[in-house]
Amino acid sequence: MKIKTTPLSSGIKDFTNTVLSLPVRFSDVAKASDKQAAPPAEFQVNKVAASLHPKTQTLIVENVESLTDDFKLYTLKAKNGKAAYFRAGQYLSFQAEIGSSVCTRAYSIASSPKEALNGTYRIAVKRVDDGFVSGYILDNWEKGFVITAYAPEGTFVYEPLRDAKTVIGVAGGSGITPFLSMAKAIDERTENFNLTLLYGARTEKDLAFKDELDRIAAQNGSFKVVYVLSEGKTKGFEHGFIGADLIKKYAPAGCDYSVFACGPEAMYAFLSKEVESLGLRKKFVRFEMQGVSKTAAKKAGLKNETCKVTVIDRGKETVIDGRCDETVLTAFEKAGIAVPVRCRSGECGFCRSKLVSGEVYIDDSSDYRRIADAQFGYIHPCCTFPKGDITVKIN
Amino acid sequence: MGKKYDVVVIGAGNGGLVAATKSALAGKKTLLVERHNIPGGSATSFVRGRFEFEASLHELCGIGPYIEGGRELKKIFDELGVSEKIEWVTLYEAFRMITLNDKENVDYTLPTTRKAFIDKVVEYAPGSREKCEKLFDIIEEANAGLDYLGTIQNFSTDIFKKIFGEYSDFINCAGYTVNELFDALDLPKAARDCFGGYWLYLGTPLDEQSFMHYFTMFKSYIIDGPVIPKTRSHGISSAILDRFEELGGEAWMSTAVRRIIVRDATACGVELENGDIVDCDYIISNASPYNMYTKLIDSRYVPKYQIKKLNSVRLAPKGFSLFLGLDKSAEELGIQNHSYFIYDTADTAKQSALTRGRAGNNMQAAVCLNNGLPDCSPEGTCILYITGLFTGDNAWDDVSEENYVTAKREFADRMISNFEKATGTEIRSHIEEIEIASPMTYARYLDAPNGTIYGFENTGSYGIVQRVVTDAVGKKINHLYYGGGYGSKSLGYSPSYSTGYEAAAAVLKNIEKEAGIK
Repeated sequence: MKIKTTPLSSGIKDFTNTVLSLPVRFSDVAKASDKQAAPPAEFQVNKVAASLHPKTQTLIVENVESLTDDFKLYTLKAKNGKAAYFRAGQYLSFQAEIGSSVCTRAYSIASSPKEALNGTYRIAVKRVDDGFVSGYILDNWEKGFVITAYAPEGTFVYEPLRDAKTVIGVAGGSGITPFLSMAKAIDERTENFNLTLLYGARTEKDLAFKDELDRIAAQNGSFKVVYVLSEGKTKGFEHGFIGADLIKKYAPAGCDYSVFACGPEAMYAFLSKEVESLGLRKKFVRFEMQGVSKTAAKKAGLKNETCKVTVIDRGKETVIDGRCDETVLTAFEKAGIAVPVRCRSGECGFCRSKLVSGEVYIDDSSDYRRIADAQFGYIHPCCTFPKGDITVKIN
Repeated sequence: MGKKYDVVVIGAGNGGLVAATKSALAGKKTLLVERHNIPGGSATSFVRGRFEFEASLHELCGIGPYIEGGRELKKIFDELGVSEKIEWVTLYEAFRMITLNDKENVDYTLPTTRKAFIDKVVEYAPGSREKCEKLFDIIEEANAGLDYLGTIQNFSTDIFKKIFGEYSDFINCAGYTVNELFDALDLPKAARDCFGGYWLYLGTPLDEQSFMHYFTMFKSYIIDGPVIPKTRSHGISSAILDRFEELGGEAWMSTAVRRIIVRDATACGVELENGDIVDCDYIISNASPYNMYTKLIDSRYVPKYQIKKLNSVRLAPKGFSLFLGLDKSAEELGIQNHSYFIYDTADTAKQSALTRGRAGNNMQAAVCLNNGLPDCSPEGTCILYITGLFTGDNAWDDVSEENYVTAKREFADRMISNFEKATGTEIRSHIEEIEIASPMTYARYLDAPNGTIYGFENTGSYGIVQRVVTDAVGKKINHLYYGGGYGSKSLGYSPSYSTGYEAAAAVLKNIEKEAGIK
């Protein structure tokens, strides 16, 4: 029903129109169905959102394969048959209860996005010297082991609207995994860019996934792989550390290229200076996060001193031990306090918490806080060191 | 288990934050629960590389920097004690409106303030001054009438005298659509286009859009003046939360509510997702009525009237936003304005039809933050964000997990081309950071049905007055109130804050009333 009058022609008519719009409204309500509408979760858009970003995923170890010394490949199957889809280069976080600790760790996905549609992820775990969780995984995950994972996350992905058509990938050690996923995605035509991968290892036997990489390179012209060995001289390989010269050697001539890097902190220390010398625009350089810098605490003069961390969890206070040379998140983990965590590098902000009192140190290299968060005393515990006793509200 | 609260507020979006703070200020034991680890709902920001992106706010009206003492929202923030925690920057440019259809030849840049706006409109539509003045008179009187209605405490016959006398334009126009008003004034096309430029912010085309609602918003931009916060909308959300905690309020982030507990037709607690029960006397929900009545409350307890009311309205447009960190300054790139509306056509009905799906949908609101806030990104860079809408309900139904990234990239790609075409700039090769939010993103973060960002559609028969009246009657769940963008004042920052405030005020009043009865 539509009221036909000419507005403003006559006050009475106009007023009638306003008043009459109310019965229209009431009759709309009266005519409407009294059957409960579909909840948000039933809309197609919401369904896709939920399947891309499940709160958690239950995964079961289907296969364990040794890659190199202390480097194992785990094939994980989604319990419900469907693993959340992702973009090549993204990571999965796992929560592990180890003794009285609750730890979360992120591992780049080595398998392709397509495989996730069949319920499969592959991740590779390498033992690191002080690696509490990597050691636990390598010693405990076996066929049938049930794991809780979060949805895939991460910004280390190829984005054609931003990146150059050709990417020079620089991989070191276990940093090969996101590139393997990208290579597979290119091969499966999920991604469309040229990837030239410079893959560094000490010796040939340290090169995990070599056969697979060679196979993709042989059948797909968009993917090339160059192996760079830091020890000894072997025919057919590049040698030394990956730096500006090697990047220039393999970069396309006369056009833009992006540099993507994933590897250990030591590699980044060297590589970042080398890349700087290439004079590339910031937009063409992307280093995957690898946790808070191991030298951050030392740089700030923080020592192995204990402190008290008072944790406020929904109004309840608990006091736990912390260490000035370890992050606040490490204190939570050791005390078995589960907080939302993903990247452990300061970037994703999942662990964002309020620093109620006390002094902390946050290294500039991992300070990705919002301006207002810094202003109102919020921290990302994964990259924050207590300078003494502190109080943190975790939710 | 647990202690009893006077008031539990579900959701720390704009409405929830203000409601909780108002309640705590009145000395009520208040708990604010939020399922995310961060407050704000849409009023938030995120960091990518060296950029901090605003998630949703283009301009905030309601603070009213041109009005002495400020407008309604300023007064709310003053009363709650949050004003001193937020730094505002005033904007003087309203918007630049460009159509991609060359034949229409629309490229209007409009300033704020009544006088400057009219002067500019007259340049684009010569001879329209008198009609523009008349329209502004109606807008101002209608708004004054609406303000007056809000101040009425007790009913008396004087009210009628006032409304029919002083505020007759309000009562006469509140049932009309925007275009009906334009027709009545016989406004020339260029002037209509200028006055109608903001329509994207409500998403309902002007032949259906409630006059009162549209021009309440228009007035607060043009006459009262727009501002932006210095530290993104997350700065506003953080400031309110900080104040709430100062007042002794308890805020639990990362705490989702599974259901609202109803006993004897009265809301009396919430069950959290971890199974904990929190008892309380009152609930103010910032979770939408849609979500309340379809998932948070057992259907046995939902009054039929509320279900029918929900079924009688349509979900407003679904959102899409593109966030760009560019590696050249706005000046170097030739991006001259802060706020752009780029349309296929200035005909809003045609545009709305074109905007139903993804193909052929070229409508966008673009903001270059640096042109309002020059130091919002590192030197030699700038931030540009572009928002689009889908007026249809099925625009993304063909998109699965597998083609999701490609589908949203394709749409974003066209948005970039359209921006470049309309403004004569080249930005594509300067993208250093990019993030794309689709209806799926809004479904994920806001739990919004179908990814809507605008609540319920605002039509002539579902404008402010009609909402207020149908909200005031009918069976409700006692002690359950709503404050937010799906409420009587409809979508947007200012309406959400203000309905949150009103919800808390209503709770406080009811507490007093019931104490009196006892």
